[in-house]
Amino acid sequence: MFFEYDLLLMTLCIFIPSVFALALLFFPSGSEEYMRWFSLTGTVVTFVISSFVFIDYLRMLDNNNDPALMGAGIKRADKKTTLMERASAAAKAEAENKPFANDDLHARFPWISRFNIEYYIGVDGISMAMILLTTVLFVLSMIASWGIEKYVKGYCMLFLILETGVLGTFFSLDFFLFYIFWEVMLLPMYFLIGVWGGKNREYAAIKFFLYTLFGSIFILIALLGFYFTDVQDFANKETLNAKAAEVIARNPALKKAQDAAKNDAAAKARVMAAALTKVEIHSFDLIVLARTGAAAMEWMHLTDTKARDKFLQKIVDQRARDGNPTTKEAVEKRMSQTFFTPTFQYVMFLFLFVGFAIKVPIFPFHTWLPDAHVEAPTPISMILAGILLKLGGYGILRIAYPICPWAAHALAWYLCILAMINIIYGAFAAMAQADFKKLVAYSSISHMGYVLLGIAVWPQTGEQYWAWGMNGAMYQMIAHGISSAGMFFCVGVIYDRAHHRNLDNFRGLYEPMPLYGGISALIFFAALGLPGLCGFVGEFMVVLSAWNFSTPEYPNAGKIFAVLSALTVVITAAYILWTLQRVYFGTNDAYKDYPDITVRELLCVIPLAILAIVLGILPALVLQWMEPHVTFFVDSLMQIRT
Amino acid sequence: MPDLSEKPGLLFVLATLLPLAGFTLLLTVAAIRWALRPYAAESPTADAVFKALGGEVTGRGPAYVALGSIALAFLCCVVGFVWFCIDAAHMHHLEHDIRHYEAEHAEPHHHGPGKAKKKAKDEPADEAAKEKAAKAKADAKTKHDQNVGDYNRLTKNWEGALEWARIFPSKDNVADTKHGTLLTLGFRIDMLSAVMFVMVTLIATLIHLFSIGYMSEELQETVEDHEVHTAHGHYHRRGRYGRFFMFLSLFCFSMLNLILADNLFQIFVSWELVGICSYLLIGFYFERTSASNAANKAFITNRVGDAGFIIGLLIVWTYFGTFNFQEIFSRVRCPERDADDVILINEKPAGHSIVRAKTDRVLKTGRFVKLDSNGDVALIFPRERIMGNVPGHFHGPSSTTAVHDSPRSREYGFIPYWLLVVAGLGIFLGCVGKSAQFPLQVWLPDAMEGPTPVSALIHAATMVAAGVYLVGRCYPLFTPEVLLTIAYIGGITLFVAASIAMVVTDIKKVLAYSTVSQLGYMMLALGVGGWTAGLLHLLTHAFFKALLFLGSGSVIYGCHHQQDMLKMGGLFDKMKITALTMLVGVLAIAGTPFFSGWYSKDEILVAAFGFSMTHPQHFLLFLLPLVTAGITTFYMFRMWFMTFTGEPRDEHVYKHAEETPWVMTTPLVILAIFSVGVAWGWPPHDPEHSWLGQQLHHYSQPAAVDVDFKASHELLHGTPSYHTMVGMLALAVVAIGVAFALVLYYYNVLDPNEAVEQFPGVHKFLLHKWYFDELYSALLVRPGLIFAHWCSGFDTIVINGFVHLVAKWNMFVSYVSGLFDKGIIDGSVNLLADVSYSVGNWLRNVQTGYLRSYVLFLALAAMAIWMLLYAWATAMGGP
Repeated sequence: MFFEYDLLLMTLCIFIPSVFALALLFFPSGSEEYMRWFSLTGTVVTFVISSFVFIDYLRMLDNNNDPALMGAGIKRADKKTTLMERASAAAKAEAENKPFANDDLHARFPWISRFNIEYYIGVDGISMAMILLTTVLFVLSMIASWGIEKYVKGYCMLFLILETGVLGTFFSLDFFLFYIFWEVMLLPMYFLIGVWGGKNREYAAIKFFLYTLFGSIFILIALLGFYFTDVQDFANKETLNAKAAEVIARNPALKKAQDAAKNDAAAKARVMAAALTKVEIHSFDLIVLARTGAAAMEWMHLTDTKARDKFLQKIVDQRARDGNPTTKEAVEKRMSQTFFTPTFQYVMFLFLFVGFAIKVPIFPFHTWLPDAHVEAPTPISMILAGILLKLGGYGILRIAYPICPWAAHALAWYLCILAMINIIYGAFAAMAQADFKKLVAYSSISHMGYVLLGIAVWPQTGEQYWAWGMNGAMYQMIAHGISSAGMFFCVGVIYDRAHHRNLDNFRGLYEPMPLYGGISALIFFAALGLPGLCGFVGEFMVVLSAWNFSTPEYPNAGKIFAVLSALTVVITAAYILWTLQRVYFGTNDAYKDYPDITVRELLCVIPLAILAIVLGILPALVLQWMEPHVTFFVDSLMQIRT
Repeated sequence: MPDLSEKPGLLFVLATLLPLAGFTLLLTVAAIRWALRPYAAESPTADAVFKALGGEVTGRGPAYVALGSIALAFLCCVVGFVWFCIDAAHMHHLEHDIRHYEAEHAEPHHHGPGKAKKKAKDEPADEAAKEKAAKAKADAKTKHDQNVGDYNRLTKNWEGALEWARIFPSKDNVADTKHGTLLTLGFRIDMLSAVMFVMVTLIATLIHLFSIGYMSEELQETVEDHEVHTAHGHYHRRGRYGRFFMFLSLFCFSMLNLILADNLFQIFVSWELVGICSYLLIGFYFERTSASNAANKAFITNRVGDAGFIIGLLIVWTYFGTFNFQEIFSRVRCPERDADDVILINEKPAGHSIVRAKTDRVLKTGRFVKLDSNGDVALIFPRERIMGNVPGHFHGPSSTTAVHDSPRSREYGFIPYWLLVVAGLGIFLGCVGKSAQFPLQVWLPDAMEGPTPVSALIHAATMVAAGVYLVGRCYPLFTPEVLLTIAYIGGITLFVAASIAMVVTDIKKVLAYSTVSQLGYMMLALGVGGWTAGLLHLLTHAFFKALLFLGSGSVIYGCHHQQDMLKMGGLFDKMKITALTMLVGVLAIAGTPFFSGWYSKDEILVAAFGFSMTHPQHFLLFLLPLVTAGITTFYMFRMWFMTFTGEPRDEHVYKHAEETPWVMTTPLVILAIFSVGVAWGWPPHDPEHSWLGQQLHHYSQPAAVDVDFKASHELLHGTPSYHTMVGMLALAVVAIGVAFALVLYYYNVLDPNEAVEQFPGVHKFLLHKWYFDELYSALLVRPGLIFAHWCSGFDTIVINGFVHLVAKWNMFVSYVSGLFDKGIIDGSVNLLADVSYSVGNWLRNVQTGYLRSYVLFLALAAMAIWMLLYAWATAMGGP
């Protein structure tokens, strides 16, 4: 199992930064410059490995094109490439004792078998985009970290450990594993802000830590809540068979019966059935949980006994086909577990949502962000805005929605309202800021609102609208990762020279620093959502989809949301242009001899600028490999309803 | 590389991309240059490259790159235009033949029993004749097929598209997988876009040429900005010659892309891009607070319009599932004929009209509607068949027709009528912003802060006309309500702007208000059914307004950056070419017969007259433009007299004034020639026979125009004397305007100041531009800022206050529980408190600690989490 190629590759990708971090321990003090280069190498190596993963991923898509579309001359990945289908295929292969697929980018390895916890990792379009964003931004912010002079070794180690945490979170397909990595991120970040931050760093670090911990607790509770559910009807049949075999082995009577029934298939089946009655499956497997969540939604939508009966029969039939039979009564009993009740779904969804919303951040859980950003050193701000915020969006998309779709659908209206508050409130609050970094932080809040809006607009009919929203949300996460990291870097460049961030005291920076001014303008325009730059694509897609959102009670809700978010583009333009005016335009004698941006700074920001342009002009570059999985995800959720 | 002869439309694509190539080249060079600048002092190599790429200030290189690319683009456009004119004429004939054939040889079908009977009667004719007829029929069929093939080939020659973003929804979840799943970038050349291409590239080329001279000050290493004062006197900065041409190139690309677009989405993209170019160029002298304020104002005001545009896009996207013009128009407007190409459904809804219906009843299969001119929904028709490609299942709407909530491309759908109105108004709001119409007109006069060539190109000839262009483009989408709004907005704008232009003394601002006013004329024309008139005015106006702006630029350059007409006067002797060419421009805009402006303005007035005759309650729509024609003449002559005639008002300015060099006067002369003759036709005394107008009318005017304004068009065609009458009336008004200008500013019979004193209130009101800025500041800007501070305050006071309160309370609880209940963790509240307490403790150590202790802490913390989890797991005992 260890020699499974994709398991190895993905594991390397996660842990290489940590290996570099450990190796840093052996660097003698005084060799700070080498430490920096070494850490940069670490991030670059991780990036290279992640691009290998990406190449494998593309190859996997290439080998599994949708035959129907191929006929029309369009290349698009087939449904076979979704994690759900790959998980089934892998389980099937395991049952048939076939060798592991080396190229399916889906791998599991038992870890704490007692609790059915696995080291279970995999990649699809959704996580692939985030992983690439992570590895790129870590390289760039390592370049931006060159100016850190204090405790270089500690900084680099924490920085690299943070990367492991982030990558692990994106790769995880086991909720427990996800949670561990989620927590692993917390501490390095806490120290990176608390030690290397600005004047008020302790306050900001504690605030960040407590907010996130507060959220984590909710996630932890949800995680346990899910674990206590017996999900055997939705688990892989192989797991079930193995579990049954285990029961047989432990139970002398059954064992005897099985031994007796050596060649008698019917007797064997009876033993199996008897064993299965004693089996319970509790799982952290996100895919199994997603299946369970989908079933819960369907189950709760079925009101009359006949339909419910049909539903149960379907499960019974399926299990009979799988060779681990059960009875309708047993299934019904399992379907009466708390997991399948509205209250449980509501509460768990809310717990997950709060946990992730704090990271996004969603109003009213957002006030840690401006403080953390203001105090964090530039590269950490880049990471924070560029990647850590995306973890929230990713969590909502990857965990909260699939496991609790019923609640997600029922609460869509409120989620949209929260998203709208984020968009509008963030934009207005940004306009009122005098601190450059705070302004960028609030603009992040506003822009992340589009992410939530795109995810939340579950329409009554017309999958395509939601598919645009979901794809737009993903695209917006990538675009915001680029533009916000760029913006924070631009603030950092000027902070290094002027040593303050007060917007009212800048003016006139364009004339002494034309290149810096030009690049900053480009990145700010990307954030403003100017067509041709990355920020436009996601926002436009999300707004397109928002219009079609409606609930039975509020048929015109989506129209209002779309109109409001369309109007917000005015506010966004206002605060961004006003910032440009206050910082770069006008004249200022004090700053007229500032040196322009240096080559090192350029190396950090030029890739971001290029990405901003390329992703703005050619969204297909990303969409063609991301869109299938996002749309399949939407597809699967839409299908539950009907 | 596709063959040009197979796809000549690519000529226009090439013309669009050439300026982009120029821009990219200039940008790359500039970026490398500035990147090397800090290292030039240290490294000789860097220095050499830095110098080679232009050094501190570039030479004229960027200008040549930009000029070269746009001039090449112009050549492409001319070739493309001629080619297209030939093809268009050909296609026109083919279309005629095809329609003729289809009408004659239509297959009888179950709706037409009469015809079938007739055919049966013909049967007993003699064999020879029958054979002959059959042969003729076969020949005609071959010819027809060939015609159809040719027609389709020719159409394809001038269009193309690229996929930009696409999703693939599952068939199980959507009825029509083509509905709303694809965003494309594409082009489709028609006469309107071809003409616009030639106009834009020609004017842009001339303005590039002019700018080479006008911007030459920027070639210096240090430029003194007289408008900016610092502690050490005037502000000094590097020249920005290269940057100017770089932005200009980007603008040309964006503008051409806007014209090229075959879909609303691409237009929106270009819309924003031209907006940002306008922003960058208005703020070209960004040291000046006035310039950066004006730039912000321009962009933000435009964004208000864009918000409306987006709403329009959303509605179109939802109900039509596409942004492609052809498809939208063919689905919102009733087809001319049904599939059998025989029965005109004129008896019911007229072809090319928007068909309204009342929701009748809802069945499982769909919703049924009854045609009703006051109905609450508008029908969306099945995707029109391609010409000659008869599917044979399209029979026009019957009195009750099944429609679908989300219309599929092959079936009838509907759109709530109010949403169709909102979509039209939304798109029009975008146009209001871009074309500086009331109530968003405030940005354009301020935009004059940009260099004058920019004002000429962007804020007079091309970008601001894009709004009018889009209204013309989207015409079939507009309902009568929207068209009436357009007409009134145009009417109000043209009057308001002209009234302000009468009192302004800044030469550029006079032109700016005049531009706003003229754009109002175009909007009005489009709103009252003068589609051709409005767009013809767009073209003629582009030439004479570019001329006037460049003329004013020449004056400003000649007078060393003096813009105030109160400091000018008597400049005719000093700058004859400028004065004479500007006079041509003034005559053209005033509507002097045989000058280009006369043709288009006359047509506009005729259209307005026809509309107000058929809709007497809207007589203002004729009165306003008529009166304003006089005002226009007055303020334009006022400007010319104040600048060029009379005694010099400022000796200093007069003494140093001089004619500008040839690079600047040549464009003036060329533009003057076009300003006279661009709209000529045969016979020249009849504006209706303007060649350009005819081209637009025949090949581009949507058929919907004639349907929507049937009454007024019939009235005008029925009584040719109305043309003469309106023309005479206009001339009379113009004469009055000239007379006033002569009396006040040439012969000085009356003192203008005395005249003003007669109406102090009105004068003040006009000087303050009708107080729009003050109004918006009080109603929108200030409340917005106050709200912004509330939001920010809410964060710091309410949310953070609450968080801090919770934290303090937790600290207290943990202290108390620590005293009484040491070591017992129960409930998440206390856990939180403890963690916050212990984190506080950690931090105290962090302050003084060593690196090793952090790492140790990290390891310990991680271990603690693990152990806790493990302990918990064991305690639970597992399943």
